[in-house]
Amino acid sequence: MQPETPAVRELISTEKNYQSAEVWTKVTGKAIYGIDLRLPGMLYGKILRSSHPHARIKKIKTSAALKMPGVRTVLTGSDLSCSPYGIVINDEMPLEPEHVRYVGDEVAAVAAVDDKKAEEALKLIHVEYETLPAVFDTGEAQLPEAPQLHENFPGNVAWRREVVRGDPESAFRNADLVVEGKFHIPQFHPAYLEPVACVAVSEPDGGITLHTAVQSPDIVRDLLAQVLKLPLSRVRIVGPVMGGGFGGKVYGNLNLYLISALLSMQTGLPVKMQLTREEEFTAGRPMVAAEIKMRMALGNDGTFLGREMDLITDNGAYSAQAPWVSNTLAERNDSVYRIPAIKTKARLVYTNKVPTGQYRAYGNQVANFACESLIDMAAKKLKIDPLEMRLRNCVRPGETTVHGLQIKSCGLAECLAAATEEIGWTKRKKGHGYGLSAAIHASGSVVFDPNLRGASARISLELDGNISLFTGEQDYGQGTHAAFSQIAAIALDLEPSRISVYSKDSLVTPYSMGALGMRQATIGGKAVQLAAEKLREKIIRTSSEMIGEPVIMENGRIRSASGRQVDFTEIAHYYHGQTSGLTLTGEGSYVPPESSYDDTKYGNIAVTYSFAAHAAEVEIDPETGALTVHRIVAAHDSGRIINHLSASGQIYGGVAQGFGMSCLEGYLFNEGRVANPTLADYKIPTALDVPDITPLFIETDDPEGPYGAKGLGEIVQVPVPGALANAVADAAGGWVTEMPITAEKIFRILSNRGAAK
Amino acid sequence: MDIGKITFLLNDEPVTIYADPAESLLHLLRDQLGCMSPKEGCGRGECGACTVILDGKAVNSCLVPAGKAAGKNIRTIEGISDGKSVHPLQRAFVEKGAVQCGFCTSGMIMSAYALLAENPAPRQEEVKRAISGNLCRCSGYKQIEEAIMTAAEEMNENRVRFVEKEQKE
Ligand code: FES
Ligand code: FES
Repeated sequence: MQPETPAVRELISTEKNYQSAEVWTKVTGKAIYGIDLRLPGMLYGKILRSSHPHARIKKIKTSAALKMPGVRTVLTGSDLSCSPYGIVINDEMPLEPEHVRYVGDEVAAVAAVDDKKAEEALKLIHVEYETLPAVFDTGEAQLPEAPQLHENFPGNVAWRREVVRGDPESAFRNADLVVEGKFHIPQFHPAYLEPVACVAVSEPDGGITLHTAVQSPDIVRDLLAQVLKLPLSRVRIVGPVMGGGFGGKVYGNLNLYLISALLSMQTGLPVKMQLTREEEFTAGRPMVAAEIKMRMALGNDGTFLGREMDLITDNGAYSAQAPWVSNTLAERNDSVYRIPAIKTKARLVYTNKVPTGQYRAYGNQVANFACESLIDMAAKKLKIDPLEMRLRNCVRPGETTVHGLQIKSCGLAECLAAATEEIGWTKRKKGHGYGLSAAIHASGSVVFDPNLRGASARISLELDGNISLFTGEQDYGQGTHAAFSQIAAIALDLEPSRISVYSKDSLVTPYSMGALGMRQATIGGKAVQLAAEKLREKIIRTSSEMIGEPVIMENGRIRSASGRQVDFTEIAHYYHGQTSGLTLTGEGSYVPPESSYDDTKYGNIAVTYSFAAHAAEVEIDPETGALTVHRIVAAHDSGRIINHLSASGQIYGGVAQGFGMSCLEGYLFNEGRVANPTLADYKIPTALDVPDITPLFIETDDPEGPYGAKGLGEIVQVPVPGALANAVADAAGGWVTEMPITAEKIFRILSNRGAAK
Repeated sequence: MDIGKITFLLNDEPVTIYADPAESLLHLLRDQLGCMSPKEGCGRGECGACTVILDGKAVNSCLVPAGKAAGKNIRTIEGISDGKSVHPLQRAFVEKGAVQCGFCTSGMIMSAYALLAENPAPRQEEVKRAISGNLCRCSGYKQIEEAIMTAAEEMNENRVRFVEKEQKE
């Protein structure tokens, strides 16, 4: 339990809707985004991309492009001295020197005085290809006769994992019921509204400054230094405002960054590059597609006995974070319930299609589609209420899950009860379908880098009595920085508006993993709390030294027992004078408790875990299969809610995205080419599409998170696909097992059922 | 390309520029006039981030050829408040939590501005329809709709107050 001081109580009652000053720049049109950046003398870079899904580059002629007036340089893969790089697997080059593996692969790049000239110059580059047989299907890609995309990956398997926990064989042997299903999930694009953009500036010392809005700037910095062979201290990342990320901008677009840096080093001038919307779809990093085969063993009373999963994820041509995403997809859902036996076989397979990465919940949301559908299939067979079945099996506080996750605070059962109560689970409207789904997500994942499990923050008292907070955690609208101001405000007993948050310059901000793994609120926020508490101590110590008596601090004021008062400005000046110019600074570092994590990946992977249950109400047109989603109730245990306005915003937005992927979105391909690379054809929800969404908060008090808070940003999307699939099944009488759930697919179920009658 | 002289009003001030009349109004505003609030999310009329008001109508400026702007009055978010106080829409967007990444916000507010000029007391369905060409990937629209309704109410109260004051005088 966290101390319930008056400040904490006040935070929760009065400052719950605090918004940071940056938001005013956004409603006045003044906020500067990546696409808005312009530097004196800046050039514009463009990329020539492969038009073949699989080919050898025989020859590239760049002389005509180089001669074009306004063109400053042309780069091809053979000009590069770097080696293949990657986030997990080193399988990618900024420009491919001889072998292209998807339509969109980077072949050459141009820097010119404006973007039209750069675009024109691309047309003057002549590439001679020798086309190779291509493979688009993950099944075919594993056959011995299939074309190999990369050396050293026989069968095109980029990554594989097999896990057995407990005794799945006997679980299935002794089961009263076994249900099984096969689920298909296409690639989804985060479709942040601002395409990735950057300006690279080669510095006089040989280094690079990259201006770009990215969720994990320090990781991008590490990779840039590694690939460009620069000393780490000579690479600097400066962030403009980010126009949405949702996990898709964890590393931004690394090839774009590397190419702009190379063009800038070549020309000595700043080089701006940005992806078009079409490039976002065809050469960005959508989330992996998946084929899931799953079986579940149950007892007659609905107890879960075991689960088996056979997962094939479609990597596309290169790996990015796809191995991590596949891993989360394969196993996170196993920890929502008590499942004593697990058997999982997962493979990530190369195909000649757009490379993949991650989107908001690392695949947990699409695994939810399969797992939760299967649970309702079983409930139906056993004639048990799906709510009852979930309550019987769901994980509880104090338990350790099948993969070793240690559950501390957990309001999952309460979430299930609240969501169903609110949607009218027992007072159903005639003809409407109701569905339920539950989720867990790691809050504050500590396994990305064993050498950097936590976070740090620095907080200073400025001469004017205001507070500057330096953090490496990124805010792109989730409200992280407002929450950080609130957290620091509690420790320092003052208004959050007096605390300015700086996070966007790697030269001055503490190193951080950034916005991923729902680590910002929990781990980043905890570091802020610790830093602010340190500063508070220092302020108190310095004040009593200054006035020569013990002091106490309250409401941003410091006074002694004898009644003497000093304010923050006086203390700041006193310290400044005593130290010839230093500022009083608190540094906080939060190192999460040690967790064991063995070779089989059994162990506690995060500081804590957030939970959610969503209930959906839908209606189906029996003639056409057309689906109307009336309502989604989203009940969340994200610990103590620090900012209600932002937290509700996360739920509305994340559920809307979950609805989009469940019912509207998904990549379509034609011979490996993305067939719907526009916002007209890849439909994301408009104001007219989004169903009514009701957020509910089950506020547990987490022992690890700052003032009891846990993460929320990713889990908001997770239960949506399962809840909708089950609601549709309730109305249609059968499950759509392919995302997105469209009228056509529902109609097929209706007509099959009709035929069976 | 033929460069021509184009004159129009930008936020009530006359501007004259020399540009290819086929160039999009969006690029003209951003690249020639330094007016950066309209954003480019797609460049083909599919996202609404570039919405400005052209003679009272909300349009996707990426689809408007610069030549079509000649003689017209163009309003962007820079021109909806007097510079001293903020517009009720701007305040409501902040207070209702309608802004996350903010990339859609300028365009969204301009669509709302055009709606409220025509229909001062819209129903929620009408608000939804008016902003249905403005994609927002962050918010799920709920808090945006609330903000627009709240701003409409405030503007109507202000109008009533204004009329009452006029009647008294
Ligand atoms: S940029 Fe004009 S509609 Fe998208
Ligand atoms: S606030 Fe990010 S797109 Fe609307």
